[in-house]
Amino acid sequence: MLDYLLSQLLNGLVIGVIYAVIAAGLTIIFSILKIVNFAHGEVFMAGGYFSYFAIALLGLPALMGIPAAMLLCFLMSLLIERTLLTPLYSPKTERKGDYGVLATFGVSILLRNLALLVFGSYPLRPPSFWSGSLIVGAIYLTWDRVFAAGFGVLLLALLVWFMYRTPWGEALNAVGQSRESASIVGIDSTRFYRLAFGLGGALAGAAGALVGPIYSLSPSMGLAPDTQAFAIVILGGMGSVPGAIIAGLLIGLCENMFVAFFPDPSRALTYAQAFSLVVLMIVLLVRPTGFFGRRHMAME
Amino acid sequence: MTRSLAGQAALIALAAVVAVIFPHLVNNYWLSVGITALFYAIVAASWALLVGYAGQFSFGQMAFVSMGAYTSGMLAKYYDVPIPLGIATGVVLCAITGCVIGYVCLRMRGPYLALFTVAFSEVLRIILVSEAEVTGGNGGLQIPSLFRGRSDLPYYYLGLVLLGGSLALMGWLVRSRWGLFFRAIRENEEAAAAAGVKVVRFRLLAFAIAAMFAGLAGGFFGHYVGILTPDIGSVDQMGLVVAMAVIGGPESLIAASIGAILVEFLLEALRAYEQWRLVLFALVLLLTVRFARNGLLALGADSVMRVFRRRDAATPARTA
Amino acid sequence: MQPLIEARGLCKRFGGILAVDHLALSVQQGELVGLIGPNGSGKTTTINMLTGHLSPSAGEILLRGERSEGAAPSSFAARRVGRTFQITQLFSRMTVLENMLVPGLARPHSHRAEATRQARAHLEFLGLAKLEGLQAKNLSGGQQKLLELGRALMLDPEILFLDEPFAGVNPFLRDEIIGLIQKLHAEGRTFVIVDHDIEAIQRLVKRLVVMARGAKIADGAVEDVSHDPEVLRAYAGV
Ligand SMILES: Nc1ncnc2c1ncn2[C@@H]1O[C@H](COP(=O)(O)OP(=O)(O)OP(=O)(O)O)[C@@H](O)[C@H]1O
Ligand SMILES: [Mg+2]
Repeated sequence: MLDYLLSQLLNGLVIGVIYAVIAAGLTIIFSILKIVNFAHGEVFMAGGYFSYFAIALLGLPALMGIPAAMLLCFLMSLLIERTLLTPLYSPKTERKGDYGVLATFGVSILLRNLALLVFGSYPLRPPSFWSGSLIVGAIYLTWDRVFAAGFGVLLLALLVWFMYRTPWGEALNAVGQSRESASIVGIDSTRFYRLAFGLGGALAGAAGALVGPIYSLSPSMGLAPDTQAFAIVILGGMGSVPGAIIAGLLIGLCENMFVAFFPDPSRALTYAQAFSLVVLMIVLLVRPTGFFGRRHMAME
Repeated sequence: MTRSLAGQAALIALAAVVAVIFPHLVNNYWLSVGITALFYAIVAASWALLVGYAGQFSFGQMAFVSMGAYTSGMLAKYYDVPIPLGIATGVVLCAITGCVIGYVCLRMRGPYLALFTVAFSEVLRIILVSEAEVTGGNGGLQIPSLFRGRSDLPYYYLGLVLLGGSLALMGWLVRSRWGLFFRAIRENEEAAAAAGVKVVRFRLLAFAIAAMFAGLAGGFFGHYVGILTPDIGSVDQMGLVVAMAVIGGPESLIAASIGAILVEFLLEALRAYEQWRLVLFALVLLLTVRFARNGLLALGADSVMRVFRRRDAATPARTA
Repeated sequence: MQPLIEARGLCKRFGGILAVDHLALSVQQGELVGLIGPNGSGKTTTINMLTGHLSPSAGEILLRGERSEGAAPSSFAARRVGRTFQITQLFSRMTVLENMLVPGLARPHSHRAEATRQARAHLEFLGLAKLEGLQAKNLSGGQQKLLELGRALMLDPEILFLDEPFAGVNPFLRDEIIGLIQKLHAEGRTFVIVDHDIEAIQRLVKRLVVMARGAKIADGAVEDVSHDPEVLRAYAGV
């Protein structure tokens, strides 16, 4: 029993790291563009497929699937941003919050159906990064999971370094704090909107590439992580990257513990999907500003 | 003014005539498409009421459809409750749940509300999937039909009456002072409150009323299809309704329901293209959102009006 | 005489800062009061509490002797308390007339025909009659201010709180608004006016209330207050 719990705990941590990567991307987009991006899960999904096809078609080594997915998701996000999100920066656009929701929701439907069309509905499984399993005593963890967690931590560390230690990151932060003052001190904010949206997409893409060998790929795989990421972003305090990381780990852990302790194992798995949704609802109800975050930020 | 009113009346009469004789022009397959279109039209109009008029950006409308359908279906299946009574119960349950959702969401606006209602819909769907002993889960739940006999005709006319009745009721509502308050809240809650509008009450009302119509549509459609699956409340289904209403025009009940009917018929007409159709409609949705936020119908109507106005301007004798 | 509205020990705390600090204020029926103070001194917050838009952290509000702190804005509106906002808040995508009808129809026992008649009369008074079919967002900034005032008038208010009615308004319109306020005051309406335009305020009011850092530092006749050393210090020092 203890061993089972321990492996659940480790699995929860692994998945928590992945969630944190997805949510960090979402939170960057939120803090800079002030939109709730409903298409983030679909970019994550696309990342998984990009990696798969980069490996399968171009014959890249499995590891190279990750940067390929990040690059392609970055470019795809730029395309979305250029074609659809520019009205958000124009003072003439009314009800920007609603516009952002509709536009990104539309993108999510488009990407999901496009994936169904192009990739088919049968699940695909990319090759392992690293086959075999880590076995310590009775604890058992596939190397793919270990790798995914390790790479995820590396990405998050890089991200935190970027956001707090480089001029670009600092400028990004400044735009996130206030568009007007940023433009007064001479930061061209539209460039940063693009950067933020692309960066957020690249992170989602990396997460998609990382989970590919652990779970399989399917066009609807983005739905659940999307709501999980929202829960995390809000729990972590809208717009706070460290908050998103902590909350991501927390949610991953709690979700796995929830499965482990759910009294009826046949329902545990379906209800596990509801777990983060309920967390999201509760967080929205109790503390719309999150637990770690800055003051509530208006969307407009 | 009177001319446009007469034009409107003529259009409505024409639409009514076409709708009434439609079943006699088509085969059974298209008749069932027609019934489905009527169902979506009610849902799209109720979404337009909540989002377009009251400004409460909710993605929960299909969850209420599902709630109405399952309530009535399970009452009829397990307790032999007469179907109309079951549908009424579903509608009442939707109204209550709508009120509760409206109440707990009082502090949320725009995107947060959208998120909350997505989460609510998904939780409901997951419950319906998980509690398979009662709900049939993903396998579906067989429920009794509303009408005996094999013909779909009664469903079609009932659906038509329901759509006509719903549109008339909702139309009356949005023209009444409640409609004015809904729009005031949509435009500016702070100012509406300062103007004496009981914002809390009307936000709850908007949710409850919209949920009732969704529940009604769900009950009707569920007993027509005869088998319920949790997927009716899925995000993808909600996406379809959003696409319908937005393409038609989210700020007009009629435009939203016409959008629903058009999209449903086009979806079936393009059936040969399978998955391409959904991609196509997602693209059309995005283009509409990007370039014609008031919907394609409104855009079309606008350009027609402009042509008329130009013609009027060109004939000074009439304006003098 | 019982004050029309009265605040006792009114406080509002936002996180760490005390935006309004034990404010006592009483306004009699028929008064015209100017409420001034440096930026961030708590004037808007005070109005928000006195009209139900914020609930006080402490203290009491008595409207015609009735405890009302924390009541909803609609309840203040129903009891004939009107207000405008520092940043004009209209129903942008509704017509001018519809903007007026919202408060007109929100009043209990109102009828559309009667409310429309009243709305048109007020629009006439404000010089907006020709614009009634226009969407509010298409009005000029000054017209929007007038419409906001008109919307408040639809409540048939006994007391009106105006938050910076002269901000961003050209001198001609300013004189016009001053004239309108004077007429409405002559009809017996009570006013509390917040503005940074001291000259306009001095032309309008007899009584000045001065706030600084959330507290009331002076309250009295204009001549006395404007020579009060503490007031001068507050304006010079912040
Ligand atoms: N919603 C809020 N949350 C946090 N702080 C607030 C809020 N509203 C006001 N404050 C703070 O309360 C203080 C008083 O603000 P208030 O708007 O009442 O000032 P004011 O006198 O109207 O100033 P101004 O003349 O610039 O309009 C300010 O320090 C402001 O930052
Ligand atoms: Mg102020």
